[in-house]
Parts: sequence; structure tokens; C-alpha cells
Amino acid sequence: MTALVALTERVVISTTRDRDILFAVLAPVVTYVGFTLVLQNVINTGDMSYAQYVLPAVVVQAMLLGAMTTAERAAKDQRAEFGVRLRTLPIPTVLPLAARMLYCLLRGVLALLAAIATAYVFGFRMQGGLGYGLAFVVVALTLTLALSLAADAVGSLGWQLDSASQLLLVPQLLLVLLSTGMAPAEAFPDWIEPFVRHQPVSVVTETLRGFAGGHADPGNVAATMAWCVGMLLVFGAIAVRLQRRTR
Amino acid sequence: MAIELHNVSKSFGDKVTALRDVSFEVPTGSVLALLGHNGAGKTTVVKILSTLLRPTSGRAIVAGYDVAKEPGKVRASIGLTGQDAALDGSLTGRENLVLFGRLRGMRKQQARERADELIDQFSMRHAADRRVMTYSGGMRRRIDIAAALVDKPRVLFLDEPTTGLDPRSRRDVWALVSSLAEQDITVLLTTQYLEEADVLSDSIVILDSGKVIASGTAEDLKRLVGHRYCDVSPTDPADMNRVYAAVADIEGVEVDYGANTVSVPAPDGVATLTEVLRRVESLGIELHDISLRKPSLDEVFLHLTPGAVKV
Repeated sequence: MTALVALTERVVISTTRDRDILFAVLAPVVTYVGFTLVLQNVINTGDMSYAQYVLPAVVVQAMLLGAMTTAERAAKDQRAEFGVRLRTLPIPTVLPLAARMLYCLLRGVLALLAAIATAYVFGFRMQGGLGYGLAFVVVALTLTLALSLAADAVGSLGWQLDSASQLLLVPQLLLVLLSTGMAPAEAFPDWIEPFVRHQPVSVVTETLRGFAGGHADPGNVAATMAWCVGMLLVFGAIAVRLQRRTR
Repeated sequence: MAIELHNVSKSFGDKVTALRDVSFEVPTGSVLALLGHNGAGKTTVVKILSTLLRPTSGRAIVAGYDVAKEPGKVRASIGLTGQDAALDGSLTGRENLVLFGRLRGMRKQQARERADELIDQFSMRHAADRRVMTYSGGMRRRIDIAAALVDKPRVLFLDEPTTGLDPRSRRDVWALVSSLAEQDITVLLTTQYLEEADVLSDSIVILDSGKVIASGTAEDLKRLVGHRYCDVSPTDPADMNRVYAAVADIEGVEVDYGANTVSVPAPDGVATLTEVLRRVESLGIELHDISLRKPSLDEVFLHLTPGAVKV
């Protein structure tokens, strides 16, 4: 337990110094303000204000960005002599991974708080009370953990990620932009609409938007949980397996 | 014995054999130097002994525990410093030491006190609260060794502890390693520097292409070459080539212009020295010095690994 706390503290100290924590808080604020100001009069979201509509997409975007910094951190730990020494210590090999994941959850909580606080200024409201509010947080954090495990697994493969992580920016940006998190499906061209409707970012943002509004569509919530828990299990298993000590 | 290797082999896939049948022992409280060129298998030995790699065959025992069967107990008994500093560069030296103390199960306060002790012992007070990424190579290496000593290990592995260091930092590390032996810590260090092995270790194992080609004390190894050398230094460095020409017919003559010395193998001892002196004097070359000496470890190494590149 001491070891896990110590390792988590280590991640927190170094991410405070490399300003990753600052970035975690600022990224959702900036994207939310940007999207809302630029798009609120462009995209028709019916009765719902754009400030209310777009928040889930901003949250998912923040979680995706956060996960990508995890990939780099894992890769560094895997390659560097520091990580090698960790593997010669009398601690379980999954501990450094667990510490990185605890940090990701902390980072996710901060990002979520920053996003929601900013959104409140622009008129967003959690309309469903405490239960739906909690469900919103739980889904967002489960998604964070799932994405972070995936990114950690990629990082732990030990590839040189310096340029690859920039390449990953493109698909993640496309996934967010081409989702119903940004605009209702009808706003997209017909040929891409089926993709937009069913891709995971759309599914998750719709669930989150539902929770924020105080309702839940069972089919949609089930799909969201399938994505989140599925990724959690698959990538969790892979990430843990990659922490093996010896060959 | 603090470390025992019995016929340890390691292959990677079918093609690469890193170690073949390596056996040696290190008595508790002594320093063993594993000597060899790049790629000789030194780091592979360290990785097996520190549980990072499993031997393909053979048995390795560290602090009484089999590395394959009780790796957890081995890990609790060892400290390791690799070829690059195994520190988190974004933490300060002190934070690194406290972190490793806590990872070894110390309470925070206890880890802090131990870090303080080590910082004093390693004369790092001036830099302890700066981030490690700002350290020079020598400072980094010192904190790195300190980090391996946080929870006084029974066996310490130092993989090329002075590679890449300037001569002064190298001396610092040497002084450090010598002080460890006094604390009853068994040390296994790897090095490419024969001088280092000679100065620091109680015994030496020489690895070449994954095999032990010689082992023993520095004295034993020097005796292996079997003969002494006659060193000749002319007063005027310009005479070096003339001295060399005078003895060039003797096999194994080495010229070191930097040291202004011609080394002649002297299997016949004094008789060889007399012969060399006679030849040089007959040419009228004035000598600064002529002496018999035991072979250096460099010469031992060249003797044992024909065809190897000179270090």
C-alpha cells in the first residue's frame, strides 16, 4: 500500500512539474468555451441550448487527450532504466500501472470538474438530480479508465511514441468531430450518417447527455456500458499482461 | 557465498546465445568484477541475477535464493544500478531516494531520514533538492548508487558504474564502491576497464562471447600470462622508433608513444632485460628508465582473447 501511494505521488509530482495537470484542467475549459462560442448559433440542437448539448463531447475529448499522455508515460516507464529498476524491487509488477491509472482517474476528476464548472457559467445544468449526476460521473470515469488502460497498453509495448502520439491526435479528433456529441446526426451528410450515429463517441455522449438531462435510454446506456466495460476488460487484461517482469 | 552461478546459459530465440555455461561464485562481503568487451554477456549476467531475465538453463543463486524459484526474496535482498541512471528525472535527488525507500517498504518518515543519511554520505547536500534532470553525469551516478543502497542490500549489482564518467567522477565512484565492501555488502560490478577491475575487486571473472575465459584474483590472472615485461623508456622521445627497431624481432613488442615506453615480453626475466639493454646501448640511445614488471590486465586480456579489439 505504501508502495502504491508512493508511486502515485511520484506521478502526481512529475505531472505537476511537466504541467500535465494544468493541461488536464485547461483543455476541457478551452475546448468547451471554443465550441460553445463558435458553434452555438451555427448548429441547431432544437430545444436544447448548445451549451447543454456539447458538454459530453468536451468531456470525452478531455478523456481521450488525457489517455494519450498516459501512453507516453507508460512508454517512458517501460523503456527507461527507472522502469527497469522498478521491476527489480520487491513490489508487484502491476503496481506502476496501478499508480498510472490512479493518476488518470485523478486527472479525469479534475478535467470533469473543470468542464462542468465552466459549463455552468454558460448555462449548462445537471437537470436530473444527484442520482443522474452520479451516473454521469461514473460513466465518464469508467470511460477514462478504459481509454487510459488502452493507451497504457500501447505505451507499454515500448514503441517510440514521440511522433506516433501526434498521429493519434487525428483519429481521436475525427471521432469527436464526427459524432453526435458535436451536432445531431441529421446535420451530417447522408453518406456518413450511419457511422456518426453508431460510433462509440456518439453512443457515450448521448448517454451522458441523457444523464445530464435527467433521463436514460436503456438501449443506449447498455451500448455505452458495453463499450466502456468491454474496453476496460480487454485493454486491462492486455495492459496487465504487458507488465510481466521477465522473459 | 552471496552469489552462485552453476552452468548458467541464456539464449534469445534459436539464434542468439548470450551466455554459455557460465559458473562462478562470489563470497559474502567481497567485490567481484565481471570484465569483458561490449556484448560479452556482462549485462545479461546482471539481468539474470537481478531477476529481470530467466536463465535458459543452469541455476543462479543470490543471497541464498534461487533467482528462478524465489525471485521475490532475491528482489528483497538486492540493489541494482544499470548503465544509465535509473532515476525519475523530474524528481529531485532527495525525492528519488525517499521514493525508493518507500518502495522497499519504509514509512515516509523513515525513508526521509535514510535519504538524509545517504545525501550526507554521498556529499550531495548541495544538489539534493534539484531535479535529477539538471545533474551532471557524475552526480546522477552517485544518487543512482545511493538509490540502490536505500534499504541496505545484501548484494549490490553495478552495471558499468563508471562508463561515460569523467576521470574525477570515476575516482569518486571508485571510492564509493570501496567503502561498500567495508559495510559487508557483496558487490558484483561489470566493467570494460581493466584498471577498474584491478583497483576495485577482490576477484575477477573475464567473459568473452558469453563464456568465462578466465577467473581469479588480478594477481592470478597476471600470472596466467606467465611472463613479465621489460619496459624501456628513452630519455629523448624522438628515440622511440630507434628503440623499437632494436627489439622489433622479439615477438609481442608493444609501443606506447603516450607513455614513451616500449614493452618487450620478457619470458627470461633478467636475461631478457640484459639483452635489451645491450642492444639499445650499442646504438648509443640514452635511457630514462628500464625495468621488469608484471603484465598489466590489458596484456592479460589480449593474451586471453586473441583477435579481440584492444580496449
